[in-house]
Amino acid sequence: MEIYLPIAGMSINFFLVIGIGAMVGFLSGLFGVGGGFLLTPLMMMIGIPAPVAAASDSNQIVAAASSAAYAHWRLGNVDFKMGIIILSGGVAGGTIGVQLVKYLRGIGNFEFVMKVVYVLMLGLIGGAMFIESLRTIRRSQRQVATPAVEGVPTPKHGTLFSKMPLKMDFHRSGLKNTSAIFPFLIGMAVGILAALLGVGGGFIMVPAMIYVIGMPTIVAIGTDLFQIVLSCANVTLQQAWVNKTVDLLLALILLFGSTIGAQFGAMASKRLKGEQIRILLAIIVLAMAVKLFVDLVVEPSLLVSIDPGKGGH
Amino acid sequence: MMRRTLTILVALWLVGLYAGQARAQTPEAMQKVLTAATKNLIEIDLAYRGDRIHFFGVHPVPNTDLVVKLTAEKSETIKLSVKGKVGPFWMAVKQYEVTGAPFIYKIHSQNPLSEIISTATAQELELGYPSIRHHMKMHLLRGEASPDDQDTLFNGLIKLKEKLNLYNIVEDPQRLQVTEGKLFKHYFQFPPAATEGQYLVESFCFEKGELVGYGKDVIEIKKVGIENWLTSTSQNSPLFFGILAVIVAIVAGLGVGMIFKKGGH
Repeated sequence: MEIYLPIAGMSINFFLVIGIGAMVGFLSGLFGVGGGFLLTPLMMMIGIPAPVAAASDSNQIVAAASSAAYAHWRLGNVDFKMGIIILSGGVAGGTIGVQLVKYLRGIGNFEFVMKVVYVLMLGLIGGAMFIESLRTIRRSQRQVATPAVEGVPTPKHGTLFSKMPLKMDFHRSGLKNTSAIFPFLIGMAVGILAALLGVGGGFIMVPAMIYVIGMPTIVAIGTDLFQIVLSCANVTLQQAWVNKTVDLLLALILLFGSTIGAQFGAMASKRLKGEQIRILLAIIVLAMAVKLFVDLVVEPSLLVSIDPGKGGH
Repeated sequence: MMRRTLTILVALWLVGLYAGQARAQTPEAMQKVLTAATKNLIEIDLAYRGDRIHFFGVHPVPNTDLVVKLTAEKSETIKLSVKGKVGPFWMAVKQYEVTGAPFIYKIHSQNPLSEIISTATAQELELGYPSIRHHMKMHLLRGEASPDDQDTLFNGLIKLKEKLNLYNIVEDPQRLQVTEGKLFKHYFQFPPAATEGQYLVESFCFEKGELVGYGKDVIEIKKVGIENWLTSTSQNSPLFFGILAVIVAIVAGLGVGMIFKKGGH
């Protein structure tokens, strides 16, 4: 069954899109990750133009993250003060990012820059996950004698942040005298990535919140979801406004697929051993990084491409 | 004596003028090639995957050569990037502004165009890829020009358009069937990449290389229903569309979350 995507300007197999959404949703449910970093490259692989893939993915993330954010808010896991500081950085970054997308599209190198950043990012995440899960597997094989000491994260803000201005207290996170500068800056950096890549950025934000800022894990996750909804809402709005690349129909199909997939993923995660299959996710992520890298270095079959601009088709 | 010479000169000038007019005769003034299309309107709806229109026609002059051309009515200016190798990577290294390249361009004929008409006629009537190239103008926007840019751009554009099925030239009697030298039938495939607008199907009839008959059909492609609404809103009111996309996403996300109780994130 074919469906015509109005903004992408192409007809595509409905079940293929739903299937990819479901697969990524399954992995999200299984591993508790957002999945935007898998969804955008997969959309590109099935022929969705890169800018439309990224912008529509941001739209899909708003939907996918909203119900989880709402649930965490009800449970009191959102540090609003911290969230708003990160979000203000995220809005600034997202706005810069959308303008960057516009500029890069204009000169015909958006896809190139996007793929380079993806290769670096997927390579780092995949590599780190791969090493981490290998370690976990080895540890569990030797195990018994000394159970692994899961170190409580020791934030470095004691030394680093004490020198930064704009200090304030964050009651919900149990942080005192913490500078607002780092949260703002990390929000901004992730905001730029969100616009450029069509991701939520939880895989950078949550570790930064836990290990650098020193927030409790559950509050970090709740606060991250809160800021992702609004930061990606900003990116969606600006992409639609500035670049006209948001395909609402594509976003809704992806949402439908990923929601169903996530339910099965969450069920499967109760039965499967997380550490063992985490290596599978690492391999998928690394394989995508390799695929995108190959795209960058192998001579393309088409050396000429049409860029948006006058008369734009 | 003077008067007679003047009269002859005027007469010659008049004859020359008439001959000039005859040569500059437009295709529309030729004998009409009668055609009928199975439809003149293509509607893009949710299930659109391109469309095919069949054409039937009658030769005004039997046993002559027939050439059919599909183009878009609008002319457009496009920006084309050319990729080059920078270090190990392939990226856009220069950019040109190109005018005169048709958005869609398809030709059907029974025999190779070069056997039917002269280069001059082909150029005048814009038939064949070389004639497109003749009308294309390229202007460097970014990067360094090199002598083979014209070739790279032209060949690259043809390859790109052919991949999207927006360009093709078929010189095959099977594709353009003629019965008893008079009745003909063929079809054009409109790919999903063919967007909204007016498209022109022109039928040319040549006798020994001279244009003797001409006919045209106009096909319109337009989006309908939700496709039309989504496209026009996103293009004409982008800010409103952005706000709408966010609201729809939040409502859909919360709704789906309620259905499944646990958020799908």
